[in-house]
Amino acid sequence: MTFFIVVIRGLLRRPVRTGLTLVGISIGIAAVVALVGISRGFEQSWAAGMKARGTDVVVSNMGSALAPKPFAANVRDRIAKLPGIAATCSIFVDMTSVEDSSMMIISAREWGGFSWQNLKLISGRMPTDAEEPAVVLGQTAAEVLKKKLGDTVQLETKELKVVGIIDGGALVENGSLIISLPLFQEISGNEGKINIIDVRATPGSSEDDVKRLCVAINSVVPEARAMVAGEHVGNSQAYRFISAMSWGTSLLAVIVGVLGVMNTMLMTVFERKQEICILLAIGWKRSRIIRMILWESALLGFFGGIGGVLIGVAGVKIMETLPAIHGLLEPDLSVGLMINSVLIALVVGVISGIYPAWRSSRLTPSLAMQG
Amino acid sequence: MSAAQDDGKTCVFEAVGLTKEYDEGRGQALRGVDFRIHEGEFVAITGPSGCGKTTLLQMLGALDVPGAGTLNYRGESIADLPAPAVYRAREIGIIFQAFHLLPTFTAIENVQLPMFEADLSMSQRKERAAKLLESVGLEGRRDHFPTKLSGGERQRVAIARSLANSPSVLLADEPTGNLDSENAHFILDLIIRIHREQKMTLVLVTHDMTIAQRASRTIQMKDGRIVSDQQL
Ligand SMILES: Nc1ncnc2c1ncn2[C@@H]1O[C@H](COP(=O)(O)OP(=O)(O)O)[C@@H](O)[C@H]1O
Ligand SMILES: [Mg+2]
Repeated sequence: MTFFIVVIRGLLRRPVRTGLTLVGISIGIAAVVALVGISRGFEQSWAAGMKARGTDVVVSNMGSALAPKPFAANVRDRIAKLPGIAATCSIFVDMTSVEDSSMMIISAREWGGFSWQNLKLISGRMPTDAEEPAVVLGQTAAEVLKKKLGDTVQLETKELKVVGIIDGGALVENGSLIISLPLFQEISGNEGKINIIDVRATPGSSEDDVKRLCVAINSVVPEARAMVAGEHVGNSQAYRFISAMSWGTSLLAVIVGVLGVMNTMLMTVFERKQEICILLAIGWKRSRIIRMILWESALLGFFGGIGGVLIGVAGVKIMETLPAIHGLLEPDLSVGLMINSVLIALVVGVISGIYPAWRSSRLTPSLAMQG
Repeated sequence: MSAAQDDGKTCVFEAVGLTKEYDEGRGQALRGVDFRIHEGEFVAITGPSGCGKTTLLQMLGALDVPGAGTLNYRGESIADLPAPAVYRAREIGIIFQAFHLLPTFTAIENVQLPMFEADLSMSQRKERAAKLLESVGLEGRRDHFPTKLSGGERQRVAIARSLANSPSVLLADEPTGNLDSENAHFILDLIIRIHREQKMTLVLVTHDMTIAQRASRTIQMKDGRIVSDQQL
């Protein structure tokens, strides 16, 4: 018999209680995995979307809403004159419900702008001109809206024909409904307004050049902020809110986990009071008792963490298939996140065991003889 | 004559004016006890319930700290032991009235529990535990949990456990108190046989005079004091 077996026996003496404690930690850790994975994935898929659009700098005014605040379309003229810029593309992005989908990204793009260029047609064609009452759908958006070529999509009061299905090379692009900017401005009553300017730096620009470009743009455009593409999502209040919420929930899950394991370990120490006294009486050092209790709670954390990662990953996979979310979610379930989650659970276990272990070590061996 | 020698016999325990209070001094379990116990002796401690027998045994086993007075083990103060756990693990084997096996461990595992404090490998622990169980006639019950053993068998496992680290002193508190007379006989014979064969010092608490008569010496207590100390 090894010391490890002694520890396992301690956990198995109340299998139901141990099991329930494991379920508790697992659910907490599952929440951590799912929320952190989703919010990180959110950030990364937007960054990937920028890249697919071929953008180096994004000029926008990220307020507290999911979509940025509109500003005058002529802001673009001020930017286009700056040195170090190869091209600009005005965009109006909106997130709104479209037919059966409660949340669809509508990406209205300047006709002829570079952000049309990276869209690969899977089937159909692009609109013939800026005025044609037509849209192209990302492949995921088409799935979500259950549309095929030739169907119409209701946008505000207008019926628009689906003329093309595209592969945009990134989740955000594939989940979008793409439309010409002038047409959308007219439909949505946003004439003369845009809310994003994609900026492409001259080829061969270094990272520092791009950063300097942002500073230059910001000095001429007080109504919006220029940011290196990919960083701008992390700066949006909506993303910060989601991120803060996921970390907050995770923290709560960890606290609940600590209290749950501590409760279980305190119960087991009280219940085994006499056994611990007997072990002390037959010569066990107090440090060995402490180690036994700490190992038990550490193992609870560890196995709870493993269970939590499994439940979290399964939960996210199920969520991805839900029609309401499908196409909007590209969770980042990296190995790093899983290892970190198990480590968090392990630390939760060890921390929870400290007080019960200390209590157990204060028992006196003479109690073994009484009763 | 050194502190640890009497007529050439080694003095294992020496108590002088030993007291023990409980409830923060509101009561006294031991009110000044003096004795010497020598190597290889079989001492029975008798007396009515509540006279302090168990308390005395706890002092000898370093399960609790003594009050006033001195209590030495081979010339060293038990109260000042640098590592009481090591003393309990290596020097003392202890047998309880209620057996006190751990319910989540099998017979052979219970016997191995004290061996974690000795320098033995896992296989050495197992081998030694198997031999000890054999010596108490339980080789066929190695993998049984305590609930599957009779009272007599449980006490035999407990005896094997007390011998785990080859102690030089055996302390037994009413070891037959929870057994029927047949099992009581068997257990008593077993303890006495071990005491003789391994030349261990045996201190046995009992209120049964027929058991006490088999000892080489009987210490009788009353109200926390020794009232008679007879060599037989
Ligand atoms: N922790 C304690 N709290 C209260 N009373 C105690 C405690 N320990 C011992 N006593 C008292 O001390 C006396 C001696 O107890 P004990 O040594 O167990 O007697 P015995 O083993 O001879 O029956 C008894 O009166 C008992 O009630
Ligand atoms: Mg007693």
